[in-house]
Amino acid sequence: MGAVLLNSVHKSFGDVLAVNNLSVKVPTGSIYGFLGPNGAGKTTTLRMIMNIIRPDSGSIEIFGDSSAEQAKARIGYMPEERGLYRKMTVAKVLTYFGAIKGLAGDELSRRVPRWLQRIDLTNWANKKVEELSRGMHQKLQFAVTAINDPELLILDEPFAGLDPINTDLLKAIMLEMRNEGKTVILSTHVMHEAEKLCDFILLINKGQSILDDKLARIQSQRTSHVVSVELEGDTGFIGRLPTVTAVESDGHHFEITLADSADTQQLLQSLVERVRVQRFEVKVPSLHEIFVDLVGASNAEDS
Amino acid sequence: MQKILKIAQREYIETVKTKSFILGIVMVPFMIGGIIFFTSRMSLDKTGPRPTVNVAVTDLSNELAAEIKASFDKYNQENPKRQIRVQKLEAQEDSDTAKNQARNKLGQGQLDAYVVLDRDILEGSGKIHLYTYKPKASNLDIFWTIENIFRKAVVNQRYKMQNLSPELLAKLRHVPIERVEMGSADGQDRVQGETDRFIKMMVPFFFMYLIFMGIVGTGQHMISSVIEEKTSRVIEVLLSAVSPFQLMSGKILGLGGIGLTVVSLWAGAAYLTARWQGLNIDITAELALYFVIYYILGFLLFSSILAAIGSICNTIKETQSLMMPIMMVFIIPLLSWFKIVQSPDGTLARVFSFLPPLTPMVMILRLSAGSDIWIVEIIASIVLLALTVLAAMWAAAKVFRAGILMYGKRLGLREICRCLRQS
Repeated sequence: MGAVLLNSVHKSFGDVLAVNNLSVKVPTGSIYGFLGPNGAGKTTTLRMIMNIIRPDSGSIEIFGDSSAEQAKARIGYMPEERGLYRKMTVAKVLTYFGAIKGLAGDELSRRVPRWLQRIDLTNWANKKVEELSRGMHQKLQFAVTAINDPELLILDEPFAGLDPINTDLLKAIMLEMRNEGKTVILSTHVMHEAEKLCDFILLINKGQSILDDKLARIQSQRTSHVVSVELEGDTGFIGRLPTVTAVESDGHHFEITLADSADTQQLLQSLVERVRVQRFEVKVPSLHEIFVDLVGASNAEDS
Repeated sequence: MQKILKIAQREYIETVKTKSFILGIVMVPFMIGGIIFFTSRMSLDKTGPRPTVNVAVTDLSNELAAEIKASFDKYNQENPKRQIRVQKLEAQEDSDTAKNQARNKLGQGQLDAYVVLDRDILEGSGKIHLYTYKPKASNLDIFWTIENIFRKAVVNQRYKMQNLSPELLAKLRHVPIERVEMGSADGQDRVQGETDRFIKMMVPFFFMYLIFMGIVGTGQHMISSVIEEKTSRVIEVLLSAVSPFQLMSGKILGLGGIGLTVVSLWAGAAYLTARWQGLNIDITAELALYFVIYYILGFLLFSSILAAIGSICNTIKETQSLMMPIMMVFIIPLLSWFKIVQSPDGTLARVFSFLPPLTPMVMILRLSAGSDIWIVEIIASIVLLALTVLAAMWAAAKVFRAGILMYGKRLGLREICRCLRQS
């Protein structure tokens, strides 16, 4: 059973179609990345999953329920717009959000100190939120999101504005949760972070899904025709090889582009015969390239 | 329900801690007390120093000179710091010379008032004419004093003409009144002073004002609370844990508690002060019960409207233009309270009782004014108010849900109507 199931969901604001016929199945125990350019409909989709806004049509299921309302205690949601009560103390904020997420008092008195320790804010427990630095505020925000030990974590642009240390902390917690069999949905446009973290990728543009698959399969299906090599010797012949369409060189380093039908192994063979090969790498397309490629193509179609 | 209570609890505690709340709870009674204290002081201040006032008089009857002089001498003797100097201005009847002369002196400030007594003043058909030049508000009580002295002089002269003794007449006219109130709590009959009567009349107003402050004053906290959650962007984090309706209900509940706290503190303080001053104010359990019912319903109505307003605005400033018309409605009872207290069963009072936003204040005014309102009328007003509260909360919840995540442009009337239609 999937943790989250979207079935042909539509949502428009006035004349703007924010989400158009979106269907996604998020399996339990995975990290699912919602990628897309700004204004693609990522935040709207996450808000609909949280039942903060309602879809115009289509259905959303969470843990098999038809609405997130019943499941809110089992979800941790970190919105793109972060904020906490500035006049309350750190410990009180954490306790309050735990309480409205349905945690009992004695459970809270155990969890709050544990989380404060985990995010290294124990000494700040009785300080007001407005006294925290930006980085501390972000850590507290994440603790607020996860205080109820959620089975499903929904993070909207979690890396926006985070310093590298907090980014690593966040990633470690996400991976740990995934390994515990919990589900994480995150939206981002930081491709290299998504590449390292996600099991599944949903690429949205203009409210529509343009790619939805396992990350590994996405990458393997898009074999590249670019080979990166380092050679020693007389390399003038490369451009004249029949399968090569372009060569870029930078000292010993070459980027060789092959024709669509060409085999990279054949190229290696012809190189080894003539020169010394120090390094040979068939380039795997980065998520960034796939993203730019697909979004660019989809935008070109429209115009 | 658990969540609603948690939200209410936070709202209550955090509001109690704010400076504006503490200031409000202390300042308002002080301000009211201060205003009463100073106005009573000001009106009593009739002995303080004042520059000498110059009055010219033309006595066409030619018989009042002695009496006028005697009256003003008496006044000047009694008020050594507030002298009035009188001078005679001879003139023929119907002559403008004296009047023009007086007009010049008035204009130059040498005279403050010019008085002409008609020739037939003593027969009862003539008038006292008082001429002033661009009178200032601060001078009006002087003119009133001058008029009184002249009137007394004329009346005294009339007595003399009839061979009546002014002293005897004053004696004959003197009848002291003692007002004794029976049925007080301690079983003692009490002698009332003038102030007691005044305060008795103020009691209904005080009750209505308590309702007003409890509803409107606490409503301000609702606006600032919603706006704060919007500007600090905490709202979406909240909505990940609770539904918009739970959030709104929790806020209303928490702030309703704040209002009850404030109102009972003020009422308690006022009651204790009244007892301390020896005033006998009867508050029946019935009135207290109605007070609580009307307060709660009125607060629910007002605060759900304010929650909706807060949700569709981004700043306190934006809310103000929307608050205006609503405040106007709530101020109506404050403006018409005197009429309602005087005739608590009149048409005006009855009509206002059934206009839901006015119901709590007007009904408390009528009940505390000692009117025996038919119980059916009371229940009908409560039912109508309760139904309005339900409708308002239903609509407010819809607007709140739509507005709470809107930033930037404020929702227009058309958008609000659309979200009301959507189920």
